[in-house]
Amino acid sequence: MIKVTRDDFDLSDIIAAAQQGNIGAIVSFHGIVRDDGIEGMDVEAFEEVAEKDLQAIAAEAETRFGVAHVDIIHRVGHLSVGDSIVLIVVGASHRKAAFLACEYIIDRIKEYVPIWKKEYTHEGTRWVQGGH
Amino acid sequence: MDDTVHVRAFARFREVFGDNLEVRVAVPATVRSVVQEIARMNPSGAHEILDGEGNLRKSVIVLVNRERIAGNGREDYPVRPGDEVALYPPVAGG
Repeated sequence: MIKVTRDDFDLSDIIAAAQQGNIGAIVSFHGIVRDDGIEGMDVEAFEEVAEKDLQAIAAEAETRFGVAHVDIIHRVGHLSVGDSIVLIVVGASHRKAAFLACEYIIDRIKEYVPIWKKEYTHEGTRWVQGGH
Repeated sequence: MDDTVHVRAFARFREVFGDNLEVRVAVPATVRSVVQEIARMNPSGAHEILDGEGNLRKSVIVLVNRERIAGNGREDYPVRPGDEVALYPPVAGG
């Protein structure tokens, strides 16, 4: 499942669904709104392009690392501290490929996919600087 | 002859320029003529997308019809009436 969505997700459902016969290892990355002096954030995306990019990144990861299964769910909209932002689930025959693919996917998302965060602090709002 | 291209802006650029705007440009148009017209329509926000010499900032990401336009010659990339031009700052998702 690859999607950009306003809806929250259930980690255990998605990880359980990735558990199939040929998969011996599942690695996931779960990004969460961290309490570092912010009250929350707005996550914005160029949704049509972001979803297409996520599809392409998942396909790249499958080819490069030989993993069998990739889920990427990225949320948009207003999120509070503790809310989920992103979930990546990678299933592979062996752990090494799953770890490498999962890290590759989150790094590519952060440098390439048109998604931005605007944080709400006690003083006002600020855009999280991109540009890696 | 001039005509209209549809411009979408995101994140900080959306706050400055609006998320959907129709921009009239002389034909034949290029990425350069479109961004210069956007800057002309909103002089106080021009520095967001143009440097001091009026060139498109390297940090600005440009898509024409959902395809990224990159490289040195990107300001010369042709834009046709009815095309969608998208502008956004460096991304920060994940």
